[in-house]
Amino acid sequence: MSARSLAEKFFAHIEAGEVDEILGLMTPDATVSLVPLNRHGPVAAEGASYLRELSRSFPDLVVRVRRLFVTGDNTAVAEITVAGTQAEAFLAVADQEKHVDLDQAWMLKVTADGQISAVIAYWDQNQLYRRLGVKRLDKVTITAR
Amino acid sequence: MTTEALRAETGTAPREDSAEAAVRAFFAAYRAHDVESMVDLCADSAGFRYVPFEVWGRQRVLYGEGQVGTVGKVIWTTLIDAFPDLTNAVTSLRADEHGNVAAEVGIGGTQARPFGTIASTGGHYELPHLFLFHVSGDGLIDDIVAYWDNVDWKWQLGCLEVD
Repeated sequence: MSARSLAEKFFAHIEAGEVDEILGLMTPDATVSLVPLNRHGPVAAEGASYLRELSRSFPDLVVRVRRLFVTGDNTAVAEITVAGTQAEAFLAVADQEKHVDLDQAWMLKVTADGQISAVIAYWDQNQLYRRLGVKRLDKVTITAR
Repeated sequence: MTTEALRAETGTAPREDSAEAAVRAFFAAYRAHDVESMVDLCADSAGFRYVPFEVWGRQRVLYGEGQVGTVGKVIWTTLIDAFPDLTNAVTSLRADEHGNVAAEVGIGGTQARPFGTIASTGGHYELPHLFLFHVSGDGLIDDIVAYWDNVDWKWQLGCLEVD
């Protein structure tokens, strides 16, 4: 499978909350780096727990791929927008049923045999907090009503 | 060894090489605080979007979006003024054959003046960024998009307000 097709499948699985299917696209030792969360490590641990929480908290999640290109080293680089309505606490932020849309950039390193070996994601957590009603960074769990 | 042989070994094509060179020159100019050169490396109508740059006022939201020659130039100049020792280090660079370039860049500096809602306490920050460029066939940057995390940035500078 090409890096482009793999990336499209990856984001479709995120939208559908299909974490096991995402792990099935990865090498056994694949790594993830969720830069704004300072989470770096094996996809099976760090990545899967984040994606499961995302899916639980935003059951109507939509992932729109806005830009996708594949670099010479077979890395798929994507700009996406994730959107959804909060239904459970997310990253310690209480649920206020806020609608969120957040632009993100992801890089998926793909092996020659068509598996993802590394995932790196960038977004602005401040934008996420603003949309979820958080007022202060030292009081993330206390949100405005 | 010939240039073609070198390209065969590294697996890169001329378009990728020239796009990467333009981006490396851009960050070298940024390190030198040479905003005019940064702008000169871009096409006249180059697009600009700093995704996390949102200023929420009572009436409207201002976004860091527009053109390099207007919005970009102002933001870079203001950043360098607020962080006089601002510097950067390109940690990874990858390009495709159509002029798209992804650059992971560490940017850091010591605050000397307020920047937006971040009051100056003299704090220092180091922050990973992801820049996405498009470079035209004639080697000019015609689009810049950047992502970073403002929470990390604000924590390092002692600003705890979301807005």
